[in-house]
Amino acid sequence: MSMFKSLNIKYIVPLAVILYALPLIPQQPYVTHLMIMTLMWAYLATAWNILGGFSGQLSLGHAAFFGIGAYASYFLTVWYGIPPIVSLIVSGMFASLISIGIGYPCFRYGLRGVYFTLATIAFAEILKDVFIYLRDITGGSLGIWLPVTHEGIVNLYFISKESYYYVITSLWLLLMIILSLAGRFKDYLIAIREDEDVAASIGINITRYKLMALLISSYFTGVGGSFYIYYFRYINPYTAFGLDTSLQMVLISVFGGMYSLWGSFIGSLVLTPIGEYLRITLGGTYVGSHLIIYGVLLIIIIRFMPRGVFGIAEIIRSKYLIRGG
Amino acid sequence: MRSSTLKVDGSEGKVSEKLIKFNLITERSGGYVVDITIFLQVLVNSILLGGMYAVISIGLNIIFGVLKIVNFAHGELIMLGMYISYWLTVLYGLNPYITLPIVAATLFLIGLVVERVLIKPILNAPSINQLLTTAALILILQNIALILWRADYRGVSVKMPLISIGPIFISATRLVAFIGGLAASLCLYYILMKTDLGIRIRAVAQDPEVAQIVGVNVPRIQTLTFGLGAMLAGIAGSLMIPIFMVNPTVGSNFGLIAWVIIVLGGLGSFTGALIGSFIVGFIEAFVGILISLEMARAVAFLAFIAILLFKPAGILGEKARV
Repeated sequence: MSMFKSLNIKYIVPLAVILYALPLIPQQPYVTHLMIMTLMWAYLATAWNILGGFSGQLSLGHAAFFGIGAYASYFLTVWYGIPPIVSLIVSGMFASLISIGIGYPCFRYGLRGVYFTLATIAFAEILKDVFIYLRDITGGSLGIWLPVTHEGIVNLYFISKESYYYVITSLWLLLMIILSLAGRFKDYLIAIREDEDVAASIGINITRYKLMALLISSYFTGVGGSFYIYYFRYINPYTAFGLDTSLQMVLISVFGGMYSLWGSFIGSLVLTPIGEYLRITLGGTYVGSHLIIYGVLLIIIIRFMPRGVFGIAEIIRSKYLIRGG
Repeated sequence: MRSSTLKVDGSEGKVSEKLIKFNLITERSGGYVVDITIFLQVLVNSILLGGMYAVISIGLNIIFGVLKIVNFAHGELIMLGMYISYWLTVLYGLNPYITLPIVAATLFLIGLVVERVLIKPILNAPSINQLLTTAALILILQNIALILWRADYRGVSVKMPLISIGPIFISATRLVAFIGGLAASLCLYYILMKTDLGIRIRAVAQDPEVAQIVGVNVPRIQTLTFGLGAMLAGIAGSLMIPIFMVNPTVGSNFGLIAWVIIVLGGLGSFTGALIGSFIVGFIEAFVGILISLEMARAVAFLAFIAILLFKPAGILGEKARV
């Protein structure tokens, strides 16, 4: 808690300067790609953390919102000719809309803990099956490709990777600023996480706040999915709605520290480069080796430091502060 | 073609083209006629599928009932069972059914190790931590399988006849899997109800603290139970390898379906899991032929969410616990 209040906007501004200045250093496109992935997963994990970390509702179906964001962007761009920069913002709303479908009944009927998690997994699986089934509309299991268009910010299509980096960095910073400003709202969510019954007894409307956390979380996750399809120009139902995608968001957040705002960034800073590096170097011979390492790390983190890497930093800092007087 | 008297009002005109394509429904003057033989065929298929699901879900259910942990990686244990059976068949020319005891024993041992190394330390941790640990186990097992055996679909074919009863055909491999699945489930039921070990297991499931007081070695029973659950997953794998192709991600399907079944039947309930298996087998077989296999899964998951919301104790309710 003490960490939230001290680490707010004043830390974001210098970090923003550093992040925006990074592409000025000449680098290989591959390094830029690593930076984009790191920021994208930091962004997605932060978005997941609004529901999973702050309000303690462990969703393992966030790929549903990621996938809806990606597919909605495709439909808006290709069918309706809406400029991608607009669809990037609008696609998140579709994800929020879909999230009501699972969130309202779950919170209304008080589905808690593991049961909520199971329901979210089932929800993402249903969407995956439906998107595979409706192949005339969604392209089925083969997935969809975005056509090449004119370069520029309006079309979110760039030749240089740096531009994509600026887009995702801006999205992440925006999310961090919004969350830093939402102090009261965040406190309510944490109260719900710590003890739902106590939170209800002091007059917090549990259902409403959980639903708001879900709406906001799914909105930003949807925007993340939208960024994904504009960057990769391709997606299929398995990536879009798969358990692996959901798990990756959760893993990064838990690794970094799911109880803090900065945990997801730290988690992604450590895990994404390892994962992408292994994927590229060992990918040919040992597909999936990065996921084995992710799995082992997750088990170790949960067993020995359930508050994540950032949790350790928090403990060290508080000890130091006490000793320093 | 033999047809039943079941008629669908022709004026509605809402009959799927697929039904007509598969001769499930034939157009006659004034309406549609449903072919009863295909209905019976699908019914038989659904019952056979249910028998296989029983052995999967009962294994998962006994683990949940005794250890109270959410094991997401149950499907991955089945996947391992299928691969072990596959390799024994391919490398040593064994009949897949002969590999069954070897696979069962191996999975039993794997189950003991997994419980000791991964599950035991987090038995009292928040359920979220247990869930994430087993989810991490999914990542590890799936990707080890991917590295060792690639993403190819692999299958074993067993030369067995197609049994025909009148107009209905029964695949012998599915019949063996059905009988084997039910037999394994009943064996477990016998162990639980009649043996000393079973009494201990049930005591731990009901109240670990009291069981400890009356002299049951609770940690040992928990480890053994996980081994038994994993063994049932192995048996399922062996029985299914002649029917389904195996690849590294095949387990997530079975694992999720097993969760659907045990929630449907009531967590920790033996009879519930048995009934749940047949209900899910029925849904899958019928929606599978009426719409598509993907939608069959989707409908099963939809039923799962509905049960979670409206009848969280399962269809049999609280009283059905073993």
